[in-house]
Amino acid sequence: MKKFSQILLLTVLSLVTNLTFAQTADDVINKYFEATGGRAKWAALKDVKATGKLKVPSQGLELPMVMLQKSPNKQKMTMTFQGKEIVQPSFDGNEGWNTNFMTMKPEKMEAEDSEIMKQDTDFPDAFWNFKEKGFSITLEGEESIEGVACHKIKLTKKPVKVDGKEEENFSYYFFDKENSVPVMFRSVGKKGQMKGIAIESFLSDYQEVNGVFLPFTINQKMNGKVMASVVIEKIETNVNVDDKVFAFPQN
Amino acid sequence: MKKYILFFFSTLLFQNLSAQDALPLKGDEIFGSMRARHIGPALMSGRVVELEGHPTNAKILYAGAGGGGVWKTNDGGVTYNPIFEKHNQSIGAIAIDPKNPDQVIWVGTGEVWTRNSVTVGDGIYKSTDGGQNWTNMGLPNSERISSIKINPNNTNEVFVGVLGALWGNSADRGVYKTTNGGKTWEKIFYVNEFTGCSDVTMDPKNPSVLYASFWEFRRTAYSFNSGGVNSALYKSADGGKTWNKIHNGFPSGKLGRIAVAIAPSNPNILYSVIESEKDTDKGLYRSDDAGATWKRTNGDFELVVRPFYFSRIVVDPKDPNIICKASLNGSISKDGGKTFRSIGGGFHSDVHDFWFDINNSNQIFGCDDGGVYRTLDGGNVWEKAKCIPVSQFYQVAVDNQSPFKVYGGLQDNGSWVGPSSKPGGIENRDWVSVGQGDGFRVFPHPKNPSIVYSEMQGAEYIWRVNIEKNQAKTIKPFPEANDPKFRFNWNTPITTSVHNADRLYCGSQFLHKSDDMGETWVKISPDLTTNDPTKQQQENSGGLSADNSGAENHCTIFAVNESPLDEKIIWVGTDDGNVQVTFDGGKNWNNVTANIPNLPKNTWAYFIEPSNFDKNTAYAVFDGHTQNDFKPYVYKTTDGGKTWKSIVTADLKSYVRNIKEDFKNPNLLFLGTEGGLYVTIDGGQNWSQFKNNMPPVAVHWIAHQREEDALVLATHGRGVIIVDDISPLRQLTKETIGKDLQFFDRKPTVMRENSGFGGYAAMGEFVGENPTSLAQIVYFLKSRHTFGKMSVEVFDQKGTKVADLPASKSKGINILEWNYRLVPPKVAKGKTIVRGGFTGPTVPAGTYKVKITKASKVYETDLVLKADPKSIHTDEDRKVQNEVAMKLYNMNEELGYVVDQIDNLMPTLTDISTKLTTSKLKKQFPVEAMTKEMTALKETLVVLKGDNYVGTAEPQLREKISGLYGEVADYAGRPSNAQLANLKVLTDKLNAAKSKVDAWKNQLSALAPAMAKAQLPEVKSVRSFEEFKASDM
Repeated sequence: MKKFSQILLLTVLSLVTNLTFAQTADDVINKYFEATGGRAKWAALKDVKATGKLKVPSQGLELPMVMLQKSPNKQKMTMTFQGKEIVQPSFDGNEGWNTNFMTMKPEKMEAEDSEIMKQDTDFPDAFWNFKEKGFSITLEGEESIEGVACHKIKLTKKPVKVDGKEEENFSYYFFDKENSVPVMFRSVGKKGQMKGIAIESFLSDYQEVNGVFLPFTINQKMNGKVMASVVIEKIETNVNVDDKVFAFPQN
Repeated sequence: MKKYILFFFSTLLFQNLSAQDALPLKGDEIFGSMRARHIGPALMSGRVVELEGHPTNAKILYAGAGGGGVWKTNDGGVTYNPIFEKHNQSIGAIAIDPKNPDQVIWVGTGEVWTRNSVTVGDGIYKSTDGGQNWTNMGLPNSERISSIKINPNNTNEVFVGVLGALWGNSADRGVYKTTNGGKTWEKIFYVNEFTGCSDVTMDPKNPSVLYASFWEFRRTAYSFNSGGVNSALYKSADGGKTWNKIHNGFPSGKLGRIAVAIAPSNPNILYSVIESEKDTDKGLYRSDDAGATWKRTNGDFELVVRPFYFSRIVVDPKDPNIICKASLNGSISKDGGKTFRSIGGGFHSDVHDFWFDINNSNQIFGCDDGGVYRTLDGGNVWEKAKCIPVSQFYQVAVDNQSPFKVYGGLQDNGSWVGPSSKPGGIENRDWVSVGQGDGFRVFPHPKNPSIVYSEMQGAEYIWRVNIEKNQAKTIKPFPEANDPKFRFNWNTPITTSVHNADRLYCGSQFLHKSDDMGETWVKISPDLTTNDPTKQQQENSGGLSADNSGAENHCTIFAVNESPLDEKIIWVGTDDGNVQVTFDGGKNWNNVTANIPNLPKNTWAYFIEPSNFDKNTAYAVFDGHTQNDFKPYVYKTTDGGKTWKSIVTADLKSYVRNIKEDFKNPNLLFLGTEGGLYVTIDGGQNWSQFKNNMPPVAVHWIAHQREEDALVLATHGRGVIIVDDISPLRQLTKETIGKDLQFFDRKPTVMRENSGFGGYAAMGEFVGENPTSLAQIVYFLKSRHTFGKMSVEVFDQKGTKVADLPASKSKGINILEWNYRLVPPKVAKGKTIVRGGFTGPTVPAGTYKVKITKASKVYETDLVLKADPKSIHTDEDRKVQNEVAMKLYNMNEELGYVVDQIDNLMPTLTDISTKLTTSKLKKQFPVEAMTKEMTALKETLVVLKGDNYVGTAEPQLREKISGLYGEVADYAGRPSNAQLANLKVLTDKLNAAKSKVDAWKNQLSALAPAMAKAQLPEVKSVRSFEEFKASDM
């Protein structure tokens, strides 16, 4: 159970924020937005609801899940398990919370983790208006990912505090040179045992949703081993998600 | 014209012949999602040679291994993770940028403790993101980087000490400087081609003041020399522009290796350890005037022992009089070097470096031939880091047990046997010691699993170990009356035979054979080496400090292998470059060395692999690095050694130590190189490096476990690494790689049964990864699948879908795993969660259909599951288990549906109750009683209070069914009688609950017309079982 919730947390932390995904130094990023529908279509995205399954094949787990994201930085991942909804995590723009597995009640994240989530949650995309958000990008050469020649982009967000100490907040995105979409992003664990460990999220099954191409499958790997997969069945956009659903439940 | 036509046809013919086989795929175009797993062990760890801490964060420390990369702890030494996985694994020096310590890290490659087995670096690397990514910043021919010093005021200014080549001359030695963060380098100080920079240190308060020691040294395969007139200590006071010798007080005559350290708290105080001609002036020297004058303070054993291997002094950052000296056992002085004590207990021998905690000098880290250690009491008692698997294997063997065991010998860490798989992972405690000293070749008796052969350096001992009875008999051959002294290599060849289980070979300069497990030996060859007396002067080896450890023994046999097809054919390779073969069991020997084209004379014949397919075919690899030749040499003969053809291509980047031919596909070869594992699928026309979870570590030996098709690698720096199941590589043909998607044939998956117990390693202990026990679906994709849906479904023989898997989509080979279980049942909704909701029942053995849908195309293959032949269960047991598990699986869901119906009915009934205002209506419609009964029933069906921990409530029917289901589903055999009896009890209860719900539903249907008449709310029919199952809630 502990293992499972760790995997879940991992998956979600690095993945939810990037449900919609990004691409090069300016050229690569521009091409990415063009290739996936154009900036106008992206600009029209106000919120997204993705419905699918979280799969942990090694443990035979397959949980229905709903992922909500709303501009500018709200998100919530809800899984259904034995008829109960488990939130892992929700973030209302300021505060994050999760369902405790023992009590099934919501519990707030450590304040520092909420601050990290604030930095790590972007809608509609990490690269959307990245300059305005104070992020920087650099093109760091090429790398082959799953046999695909890719541009390697380093995305540096504003620094975050980890255990009270300010640290650089960065990740790497690999954009298919041929068709401009990211096929993988690599983020780095920030705390505890996961600190410094690279987590790789492989993106595929890109499909068009109201004019924007989004990946419907995310396979997350550590050291080349699949830890979890998110397989999305349906993505709806601009469904007018109420802000309240992201907030810490009061009762 | 005729000529042209002939030419045209001949080229066409030639192209056809070669094109038939050549498969020009490279790297991850082939290997896709195949990956290696690491099993360590970290029990004994391996040689760690360099420690460097973060300047302001005491929790962060970097450890550089001799052959196993860079490891970082973020938690003060509890856990370590490797951070240099894609680059040269031999580390010389590490430095942290004092201005950007979280981001900028420098690593100089090439270990500087120049033992015989040391490897070679490839320059200096820099990371600007805390070690996630590294860029080679140059100095590609530096081979060994001894020091990196960063100007704290301007961190783009970096000084690098290059010790350089060990086996030859080099003009790349000296002190280098960059002023632009490593973009360009200037050699600012150089002595000569055979004298390298062994240490650079910088005054922390005045970075213009630098000290650099230079060392004249050279190794050959058969000798070592430390010292000469060029060894010296220099000082620069102008940032490296000018350098002056500072020998006032130093010994006269030739000097050897010189270590130098500066006291951070008082830069006028310097320490230097000096190797010199006379024993009376070797030892520790101290200067209190920044090097102007020196005084000898101590010449104890630990201060003078083996300078080439231990030449480091580390000074406490707070107290200039506390110093640690790396040495055989390590020693520490608290009085400025006058007296020393041993650093105490818990340390392995052969100490290489120390690091003082920046805040607390009683906490010191140390490293040695056995890993990284930490003391909390100022260097009396040390604890070992148990998670750094940088063990250096020289060889590896496997047996035929299931799971198979792994055998091998380690640099300075004995000989070992460990499991290739263990419930919960392979832990340090799972390894069994089968030899002392340095371990080398270890072989299991081919038929008796309790017998193991092992040895220690120079065949000082060869043991036959009975691991069951804990006995070890020494069995090495001795010279007979007229024999010369036997010369045994440091890494003496011993090997067993596939033709005679009790046979053992051992090589000195002669080949020795025993057919009785080492009790009696017969010499079956003359001296097979060049027997060059000039290469047999080991007692003179060492230079200023004699060093005759056996490590330089030469003119010895190194490689021995019997043909698997004919026991009379034996191939021998010698360290001085001979390849010899006998076709009559040793009566006659042919020296075929001269037949090998373009092979420099005396190139070490490192390994010979007789073919599995043809008696006259063999592969030979040669290692020229001890002659300063780093080129790869790989040859194949098909005529018993008369002619040889090189199968080296430009793909190979470093020298080669081992080759393994697949036993089913002669075009599939595996190569152990100094820079990692290479694979060819076309008989050597193209080679690809295998990089998936496989660092470019030196691979000294490759074993192939045939039952599992596992490739087992002895790495010299990262323990044992296994590539499970290489069979997909056999199936790569021109045809298969041309298809969009091609399934590969699989052996039936054996359905492993285990208790689920096991795995108890503490935080900070390494746990080796297990092979998968899941079924694998393996296919080749011509290109990565990025756009549109791709699904993988599994169906049983009735066509019922049993699994829906997230596809693997890499170009190349894809391996997708299935746990051959159904998804867990949909259990009743309650307050808490239950075990059964996590458990899917195992599907029965049999043939399943795998269907991949990619865009509009469908691809199908069979997947066969087979019961474990070693199982304690009969097929009949399994059948009962499956029936009961499925019955309980369905009961979970049926109960879920019972509760679902109650949950759906209750709101309406409650609503109706409030509208029954008269006693007549209440009597006519007994809804209130019904809701009470329903509530009461539901309370017996599911837990509606408490939590998932100690606030748990009394279990109800859901918990009981789910509990029994979990027990039955997780055991492969027949359920117990108690379980079957319990099943009956639970079935009756469930049926009773179902009947009650049905009765209520019937009663409500009967009342429906009257209720409608009374204008009561309509009781809508509940959703169907199928609707309930399909819903997420």
